[in-house]
Amino acid sequence: MGNISFKNWVLVAILSTGILIPGTLDAATQDFMRSTGKMYVVVSVIAVIFVGLAVYLIYLNRKINKLENRLDDES
Amino acid sequence: MIVPLKPGIVSVEPDRVLLGDTLSIRLTGYNTNFDGTDSLRLWLKLTDRYSISGMDVSAMDNRRLRGTFVIPDTFPPEINSEVHPLSLIIDNPLDGPFVLPNAVFIKRGEKRAPGGPAWDKNDIQNLHTGWEFAFPFRNILAETIRNTYFHVPMWFAMIALFFLSVYRGLNYLRSGHTDYARRMVSLNRVGMLFGLMGLVTGAIWAKYTWGAFWSGDVKQNMTAVALLIYAAFFVLRSALDDPQQRDRVSSAYNIFAFAALIPLLFVFPRMQDSLHPGSGGNPAMGGEDLDNTMRLVFYPAVLGWILFGYWIARTDWKLSRLKEKIHEKIEHHG
Repeated sequence: MGNISFKNWVLVAILSTGILIPGTLDAATQDFMRSTGKMYVVVSVIAVIFVGLAVYLIYLNRKINKLENRLDDES
Repeated sequence: MIVPLKPGIVSVEPDRVLLGDTLSIRLTGYNTNFDGTDSLRLWLKLTDRYSISGMDVSAMDNRRLRGTFVIPDTFPPEINSEVHPLSLIIDNPLDGPFVLPNAVFIKRGEKRAPGGPAWDKNDIQNLHTGWEFAFPFRNILAETIRNTYFHVPMWFAMIALFFLSVYRGLNYLRSGHTDYARRMVSLNRVGMLFGLMGLVTGAIWAKYTWGAFWSGDVKQNMTAVALLIYAAFFVLRSALDDPQQRDRVSSAYNIFAFAALIPLLFVFPRMQDSLHPGSGGNPAMGGEDLDNTMRLVFYPAVLGWILFGYWIARTDWKLSRLKEKIHEKIEHHG
């Protein structure tokens, strides 16, 4: 169980760095985020929402795992 | 995502000229079809009454265009300022008409002998209609106008969840059923999640349109305060040991938290200038912020995110109810 959630955290870490790297490129008039009509701003907003929901699912998943373990310990 | 933006003007060069000069502009458009048509028309509009028509309009490629304007020697009598902005209007059969407000600024130069060309009476007419299902093009925003369907519904969902949570809190205070308190906590938890996602998405959007992740905008600050108030809800709960007292105190606190949320999000931002649309006195989502094609996407998105948030909160609540049941069972057996 610990294994699964560790993998999930790694996944989240990778996803979030993927957002932060283009965010740190600054201010040149035509950087990556501003290319194609600033489309990548929309992409990163969607990515943030995805990460937010994923983190919440992981949190729920961990709660379920704990409950499962408790039940297993009892029987 | 596949709905395109309407054509628009990204930049015009040069953007300033003296009275009496001849202005040759180079213009860059977005989603335009300058190449596909031979009847390109250009105007510089000074006021509702006066404009200049562009001459020698030619397309360099689909997105770039050249044109020449001969600027009259004097402003019309009703304009007294030293500098006056003009809007640039383009029309062609493929794209329809579109405008760049304040595209060119005209400045009074040294005095010249009168006798040059005069201002045209406004003859901007016979415009084509660009009948297309497309979202409006806004300078600065460009494609990020689509964030309206993601960032804004986060707040709608947050408010809806917090509102329901107050209702559940009242249910609890009236009946004393722990289950209502559990629902309240789940709703607040998911409401916080949506609030945080709204804050982060807003910061990213702000970075590439307003220039900074956090510019101290009233609405940004007040939202941060509101979220901290709700964060205190969870701190309060974890600080109290007796479950019954915890539920009772936090339900009461929840009512005050929501009561604080309303002025923070809806009243204070309207009393000051803000970068957010609809602030500084005007109600949000006025006619200029959302057009009909956007409404068609925006309202279902709001409804969808609210229902989605409610569903997550319900799942969370069911899980905590299950946890409680398992605890009780185990204690019985033990």
